[in-house]
Amino acid sequence: MNSTDLAIDVSHLVTHYGSRKILDDISFQARQGEIMVIMGGSGSGKSTLLRHLLGLHQPTSGSIRLLGKDITQLSADEMYDLRKNMGVAFQGGALFNSMTVGENVELPLREHTRLDENTMRIMSRMKLEVVNLAGFENLMPSELSGGMIKRAALARAIVMDPRLLFFDEPSAGLDPVVSAELDELILILRDAMNMTIVVVTHELESAFKIADRITVLDQGRILMSDTVAAVRASTNERIQSLLNRTPRNEAINPDEYMERLTREIF
Amino acid sequence: MTLNPLLSFVSQVGQRSLQSVREVGYHAALLAEAFYWLLFGHWRRQPVRLGAVFKEAVGVGVNAIPIVALASFATGMMLAIQGIYTLRTFGAEGQVVLGIALSVTREFAPLITGIFVAGRSGSAIAARIGTMQISQEIDALRVIGINPVRYLVAPLLAAMLLTLPALTILSSLVALFGGALYCAGELSLPIDIFFARTFEVLVADDVIHGVLKSFIFAVIVTLIGAGNGFNVSAGAEGVGQATTRAVVLGCIGIILADMVFTFLTSR
Amino acid sequence: MDIQIEDRPPYKVVRLSGDVDLHSSPRAREAILDCLKQKAPLLVDLSAVSYMDSSGVSSLVEGYQTAKKQGLEFALVAVAQSAMNVLKLARLDKVFPIHASLDERMAQQR
Ligand SMILES: Nc1ncnc2c1ncn2[C@@H]1O[C@H](COP(=O)(O)OP(=O)(O)OP(=O)(O)O)[C@@H](O)[C@H]1O
Ligand SMILES: [Mg+2]
Repeated sequence: MNSTDLAIDVSHLVTHYGSRKILDDISFQARQGEIMVIMGGSGSGKSTLLRHLLGLHQPTSGSIRLLGKDITQLSADEMYDLRKNMGVAFQGGALFNSMTVGENVELPLREHTRLDENTMRIMSRMKLEVVNLAGFENLMPSELSGGMIKRAALARAIVMDPRLLFFDEPSAGLDPVVSAELDELILILRDAMNMTIVVVTHELESAFKIADRITVLDQGRILMSDTVAAVRASTNERIQSLLNRTPRNEAINPDEYMERLTREIF
Repeated sequence: MTLNPLLSFVSQVGQRSLQSVREVGYHAALLAEAFYWLLFGHWRRQPVRLGAVFKEAVGVGVNAIPIVALASFATGMMLAIQGIYTLRTFGAEGQVVLGIALSVTREFAPLITGIFVAGRSGSAIAARIGTMQISQEIDALRVIGINPVRYLVAPLLAAMLLTLPALTILSSLVALFGGALYCAGELSLPIDIFFARTFEVLVADDVIHGVLKSFIFAVIVTLIGAGNGFNVSAGAEGVGQATTRAVVLGCIGIILADMVFTFLTSR
Repeated sequence: MDIQIEDRPPYKVVRLSGDVDLHSSPRAREAILDCLKQKAPLLVDLSAVSYMDSSGVSSLVEGYQTAKKQGLEFALVAVAQSAMNVLKLARLDKVFPIHASLDERMAQQR
């Protein structure tokens, strides 16, 4: 892989919450225009990885290169400039509750550009059209349904036409039709704007539909980071159990088990 | 627990004070950052918006006028009642004007204003920022490239610094008016004479003393409200705790700061 | 981004080239609105556009609507693929009159 067209290049990332190690030696890459899906069981560290990719936490060690820049080393001003090329749709939407939907979508433009008022208005409405929320710009976030909030958050994330888009759990809590629409939208965005898109998801079906590559996390480590076909064909037991949704069936050590149940009692 | 109770007590005290020191440090950093954005934001092309300052000023200042005025009026009257009652035993009730004038401008007006703003706005700030914290709105600000301190705290701090002194002066006037009304009834002292005498005994220093305090209180209420909001980590319960803490710590902070300030300046 | 303005009576032709992005699109917008102030029907040539973002598209939308209010023709000609993708994203490819080339449009005119 040519290192210049890598949009995302994470290498040997190690992170802690307090003294607890959460991510251990994470390395993976994504090219410009690629859709990378991050999968893994609950508590495997997906959200933590995403927060580090967004530069919300400083890792213990390792590097995170976005569009060629190592965000663990950037100055505040350089990070500020890089953020113009990054869009994020949070799991719960994270729309600003004190603003209308339209104001939410316009906010990045107001902060980062000196465009004409009309231009900003039209741009934000265009993005609301893209996510099928035309005409909702004067509503408050509290007046939207869960699916509408997700779409409004997506509109805000793409209003600056970012080169990197991060999307946390696009389908969580949505009915199958709406989540299929969101998947479709992700594909359209990539095709139209050549965005690099990182999606964190639980949904296998959606992952296989949109992903170019899948990174599978397990207990803070990478099990695999490869094409969809390779992940499907993997013989790794944990990956297979994730794919087939079989419950974890670990062997029980009777002594350890009893010890866990009775610790600090006897 | 096999730990010696005394040892455990000492270690708890130690941990508590360590935490307090950390908290004070955190709030100091927050203050420095808010001032930084107020002073240099424009130069970094990330200005603190005047519109936001104005909006906050209405919220924390203008909307607090009725309640602060009512409390000040009652306090002024209470001071007059108590003052006349006490001074009468010395046959010196004529001196009540001096007592009211000084204690209102130097002590009561800034204190009442501070406490009421802490109760009204300290909790509101903590609740607002705390809710934004758990709904990831703070994270959303950061990933958009908007510094949350610049966007949320700096305008509030500016608004507080602008409106608290004004509220304090208003509070003084209303409290004096309350005192004057009571004296008019009880001592048959005309209201204009009351005010004339008040302005005779008051020197600029007394007014400045009250206003200086209100600046300090403005900083305390803003920082404790915002700091508790940012530190919310878990759920609605966390927001509730933060608002309570913001009010309690805000009021205590104000009273302690008042004591220290008065001690340092009135000797 | 470069802007060339050409008179091809009765049209004015605004030819944009290079990157039409957040930095340059305000100039494109101004050029388009200026031409419309002169009451000339307008063709915007996008053949040499290497990249266009939605601020560029937004300027086209504003131009289109301004022209329409004045009863003037407004059309895009020779839309480069990169710009087309962005137009399609907002389904604007179905809204703007789009001509394959300037000559084609001029030929129809006669
Ligand atoms: N703020 C935090 N403080 C301390 N530990 C945390 C924090 N957030 C997450 N963790 C821990 O980090 C680990 C990974 O959590 P993370 O939220 O990244 O998992 P996840 O893969 O996103 O799970 P899910 O699919 O359930 O959202 C968990 O063990 C969790 O307990
Ligand atoms: Mg998660």
